[in-house]
Amino acid sequence: MAPSTPSSHRPRKKRTIATPPGSNNSLIIHTSDTQQLPAFPLVSFLWAARAGVSQWLILPLTLMVVGLFRWAVSLWGYSGHNVPPMYGDFEAQRHWMEITSHLPMANWYLYDLQYWGLDYPPLTAYHSWLCGKIGAIFDPSWFALDTSRGIEGPDLKIYMRATVFVSEYLVFIPAVVTFLRRYTRMHGVHAWSASIALVAILLQPATILIDHGHFQFNTVMLGLVVASLDAILAGRMLWACIFFVGALGFKQMALYYAPVMFAYLLGVCVFPRIHVFRLLNIALVTLAAFALLLTPLLYGATSSQARELFASSPEPPLLQALSLSLDKKSLAYALLFQCTQVVHRIFPFARGLFEDKVANAWCAIHTFYKLHRFDASLLQRASLGATLASILVPCVVIFRHPRASLLLPAMSCVAWGFFLFSFQVHEKSVLLPLLPMTLSLASDGGLSKQNRAWIGWANILGCWTMYPLLNREELRMPYVVMTLLWAYLLGLPPTSFEILRSRTSSDIKPLEPHLLSKLIHLAFYAVMIGWHVIEALVPPPDGKPDLWVVLNALIGAAGFGLAYLWCMWKLIAQCRQIEACVADDDNRKKKQ
Amino acid sequence: MAELYPSLTQCAIVAAAFKVLLFPAYKSTDFEVHRNWLAITHSLPITEWYYEKTSEWTLDYPPFFAAFEWLMSQAAAWIDPAMLMVNNLNYDSWQTIYFQRSTVLVTELVLVYALSRFIKSSSLANKPAAHVASLSILLSPGLLIIDHIHFQYNGFMYGILILSLVLARKQLLASGFLFAALLCFKHIYLYLSLAYFVYLLRAYCLDPKNVLRPRVLNTIKLGICVVGVFAIAFGPFVDQLPQVKDRLFPFSRGLCHAYWAPNFWAIYSFVDRVLITVAPRLHLSINQEALSSVTRGLVGDTSFAILPEVTKEMTFGLTFIFQLIPLVKLWVRPDWDTFIGAITLCGYASFLFGWHVHEKAVLLIIIPFSLIALKDRRHFSAFRPLAVAGHVSLFPLLFTPAEFPLKTVYTTFWLVLFLFVFDRMVPVPERPRVFLFDRFSLLYLTLSIPLVLYCSIVHRLVFGSQRLQFLPLMFMSSYSALGVVGSWVGFMVVYFTT
Repeated sequence: MAPSTPSSHRPRKKRTIATPPGSNNSLIIHTSDTQQLPAFPLVSFLWAARAGVSQWLILPLTLMVVGLFRWAVSLWGYSGHNVPPMYGDFEAQRHWMEITSHLPMANWYLYDLQYWGLDYPPLTAYHSWLCGKIGAIFDPSWFALDTSRGIEGPDLKIYMRATVFVSEYLVFIPAVVTFLRRYTRMHGVHAWSASIALVAILLQPATILIDHGHFQFNTVMLGLVVASLDAILAGRMLWACIFFVGALGFKQMALYYAPVMFAYLLGVCVFPRIHVFRLLNIALVTLAAFALLLTPLLYGATSSQARELFASSPEPPLLQALSLSLDKKSLAYALLFQCTQVVHRIFPFARGLFEDKVANAWCAIHTFYKLHRFDASLLQRASLGATLASILVPCVVIFRHPRASLLLPAMSCVAWGFFLFSFQVHEKSVLLPLLPMTLSLASDGGLSKQNRAWIGWANILGCWTMYPLLNREELRMPYVVMTLLWAYLLGLPPTSFEILRSRTSSDIKPLEPHLLSKLIHLAFYAVMIGWHVIEALVPPPDGKPDLWVVLNALIGAAGFGLAYLWCMWKLIAQCRQIEACVADDDNRKKKQ
Repeated sequence: MAELYPSLTQCAIVAAAFKVLLFPAYKSTDFEVHRNWLAITHSLPITEWYYEKTSEWTLDYPPFFAAFEWLMSQAAAWIDPAMLMVNNLNYDSWQTIYFQRSTVLVTELVLVYALSRFIKSSSLANKPAAHVASLSILLSPGLLIIDHIHFQYNGFMYGILILSLVLARKQLLASGFLFAALLCFKHIYLYLSLAYFVYLLRAYCLDPKNVLRPRVLNTIKLGICVVGVFAIAFGPFVDQLPQVKDRLFPFSRGLCHAYWAPNFWAIYSFVDRVLITVAPRLHLSINQEALSSVTRGLVGDTSFAILPEVTKEMTFGLTFIFQLIPLVKLWVRPDWDTFIGAITLCGYASFLFGWHVHEKAVLLIIIPFSLIALKDRRHFSAFRPLAVAGHVSLFPLLFTPAEFPLKTVYTTFWLVLFLFVFDRMVPVPERPRVFLFDRFSLLYLTLSIPLVLYCSIVHRLVFGSQRLQFLPLMFMSSYSALGVVGSWVGFMVVYFTT
C-alpha cells in the first residue's frame, strides 16, 4: 500500500476547521467569563455526554426514558372509552383484529360495514390479523367474533396498548434511529447534537398523545416512511420504494408524502442525466411491491366460497364504473371485485369535504361562507385544484434538484399543503407535516434558535388543535404534561422566553429568529393560553355550543398556513444555498 | 466552578411530569389508609383520633403525621368533601386521586430542598459526587414505586431525615431537633435513633477531647429541644398514652410481612423450606403443623418445620447487638462520615434482623448509604449489590400487569445510568479491595435478569397463576436477601477498616 503523503490530508482538515458544520454553537451559550451554559434544558440532561459517551449507553437510556413516558401516557383514557354503542378508534382497531383473525380474507372488506368496517389498506389488515391471533393466546374472549363488540377491561387495554408500543419499537424507533445516524453524518452534525435531537424527536408530544393516548398505529406508517427516507439517504432507491409502498399499504394517509417521493424519484432518474434503466427499475419494483401487498388478499379471493360471497354482494361502485360484462362466478370477477372493494373502502369519496372541525382552509372558509351551497363534485374538484396548486412549487423544486437534504422541508411543505387543502382531513393528520419538520431538528443548525422556535411552535400548535379531541377522551392531563414537558425541554414558551431573547454574540446571529416571527410566535402563544382560559371558564353562548372549537380550528388554520409558508421558504433557501455551494465547488475545480 | 448539569430542579421538573402521568396507575390499600386518616383527623375531635376504628386501617402513625393529615384535610375540604367522611370507605373519586397523589408530589419538595442543602454543604471537591448522589436519591426507583405508584409519603419523610443528616455536619442541635420531629412523624426511624443518640452524646454533649467532661449547656439545650418536641407531639394525647402506644406498636403481627422482606429471616425460611425436602434422608423431625399450613410464605405467621422457632426477643437481641457493634466505632471517632456509616449499619441491622419488617424499609439503608456511596471504590462495591437487591425486592409490591413495564424499565434505567456514572466518578480507594468481592457482585448483578424474567413471566407460563404461587416470591426474596446480606458484610468490613 502506498504511503499517503501528509500533504494530501492537510487542506481537507483545514477546510473542516474553517467551516465547522457540526458546531455546537446552538447548544452551548458562552458567557463572558469563559463559562459554558446549556442553551436549553434538554442540553443539560445530556450535558455529561458532550465529551462523547458511547452510543451503547446513551441510546438504550434514551429509548427507556421515552418508552416510560409512552407507557405512562397509555395508562390514561382512550378514544371511545365507555361510549356505547360505537365506541371509538380503540374499538375500531380491536374490531379489525376480531374480524381478520376469525373470517376468511374475502370477508375482511365486506363484513358488517356499518360497524367499523375495515377501511384501512391491506397491511393494517395483516397487522390486525397478527395482533388478533397473538391476543387470542392470552384471552380468546377479547377477539371472539361478534360477541366481543364493545368489550372493555383492564387486561385488554394493556394488551392493546402493548401492541401499539411493540409495533412502534419494531418499526418507528429503529427507523428513526438509523435515519438520524445517517442524516446527521451526512450533514456533519456532532454525535452529541444528534443524541439531543433524537430525544426531542422521540418525545414529540403529538405522536405520543395520538398513538398511546387516543389509540392509533400512526407510528407504524410514519416509521415506514422514515425507513424509506433512510433508504434514500443510503442510496438504495429500490428499498425506498418498497418501504414507501409499505407505508401506503398501512395507512392511506402516507399519500400526503407521495408527491414528493414521486417527484424525487423521478428527478433522480432525469437529473443530471436521464437514466432510463433506473426509472424502469423503480417503476417495476414499486409495482411488484404493490402486487406483493395484495397477493394474500387476492389469493383469499380465489376460493369457491369467496366467489360465491362476491357474487351475492353488491358491486363496488368502482367496478360498476368499469361496466365490464363478466360472469359473476368467474375468477377474474372475484379478483377484480376484491381489488375494487378494497379501493372503495380505503378512499371514501362519498363523504363530505371535511369532518368535525379541522384546522384547515375549508373549515375556516366554511365558518364565514357556508360551503354546503355548492355541489359536492365541485367542492371535490376545488379541493383537488387547491391541493395541487399548494404542492406544485415544492414538487417542482425537488424534481429539479433531487437532493436528499431537501427531502425533509419538501415533505413537510407538501404535507402542510395536503392538510390545509385536501379532502376529508382529520385533526390527527397534522402528525404528517409535523414528522418531517421535527426530524429536521437533526439537520445542521437544526437546534438553532430559529429552527427550534418554528418547529417547536408548529408542534405545540398542532397539539393545541387536537385539544378538543383529547379533551373528549379524558386525555387532558397527558396533553398538558407532555406538551409542557416538551416545551420545557426545548426551551420554548410558555415555559421559557429565552428563545425570543437575542444574545449579543456575533457568530450565531443569522440563526436567530426574525423579529417578525418572534412577534407572530408570541401572539400565537398568547392566544393559545387565552383560549385555554376562556374554554375552561366561560361556557359558549347559547345556540353556538361549538364556538370555542371553531375558534380553535380557525386559529390553528392560520398558524398552519404560516407553517406551510415557513417550510416553503426554508426549502427554497436551502435549495439556493446548496446550489451556491455546488457552483462554488465547480468554480474551484475549474480554477484548479 | 461551573454549575453541574442537569440541575436538581431540572430533574425534579421532568420527574414530576412523569409522576403526574402516573396518577391513574395502580394504588395499594395505603391510598385508602391515608384517605381514612384524612377523614379521621378532619371530622373527629382530637381525643378520638387514636380510638376511631370504623375502617380496619386505623391511625397508627405518631401525632405529627396525624397533624400533617389534618393540615392536608383542610385543603381537601375544598376539593371533594366526600373523601373526608369516616364512613365513606374505599372512596376514590378522581378528585380524591388527583388530590392525594399531588400531595405526595408537593411534599416531596422537602426532599428536593434537603438534597440541595446536601450539595451545598459538601466541599468543593466532593460537589460533583454529592450532586450525582442527590440525583440518584431524587430519581430513586424505590421512591417512585413506593410513593407514586403504591402510595406513601416517604419522599417527605426521607427529606426530613436527609435534612437532619446534613445539619449533623455542623448544627448538631438543629439536627437532633429535626430527628426528634421526624420520630413524631413516623416511628420506623426509631431504628436509627441509637446512632443519633451516640453521635449527639459524644459530639455535642461531651467534650470532643475528654469524654469525662460533659458540656452541660449543650446537654440542657438538646434535652429541652427533644423533650419539647415530644411534649408538643404527645401532649394532646397525654391521658390516652397507653392507647397510642398500642396503636403505634402492634405486636400481634408475625415474623415476616406478607411478602418476605429480603432479610436474614427470608434466608432462614428458605433454608427451612429446603430442609423439608431433604429431612427424611437426614432423619430430622418435622413440625407437621407448619408443614400443613397452606399459606406458608405468603401470609403473616410463618412457622418453621425444622429450624427452631424465632421469638420477638431473639430478633430484638440480634438487632440490638448488630447495631451496637458499629456504634463502638462511632463513639471513638464521632465524625460525620462515620456517623452516616453508623446510620446505614443501624438501618441494615434493623432491616436484616427486625420483627415484621416491610420490604419498603430497605430505603432505610439505601438512602443514607447513597450519601456516602461515592466516597471511594470500596464503598461503591458494597453499595452495588444493595442497589440491585433492594430495588428488585420492591417489585412484588406492584403485581398488576400495567405497572410491570414501569417498574422494571424504570429500575433498569436507574441502575444502568447511576451504576455507570458512579463507576466513572468514584475515586480509587486508599486501601486494597476485598479479595474477589467484585467478581461475586458482578455475577450477582447478572443473575438478577433471569430471576426477574422467571418470576414475572416464565413461572406463570409453566405453572399457571395458581400453582406454587409462593415460589417466585421466595426466590425473589432469597436472592435479594443474599444481596443485602452480602452488601452488609462488605460494608461492615469497609466501615471498620476505613
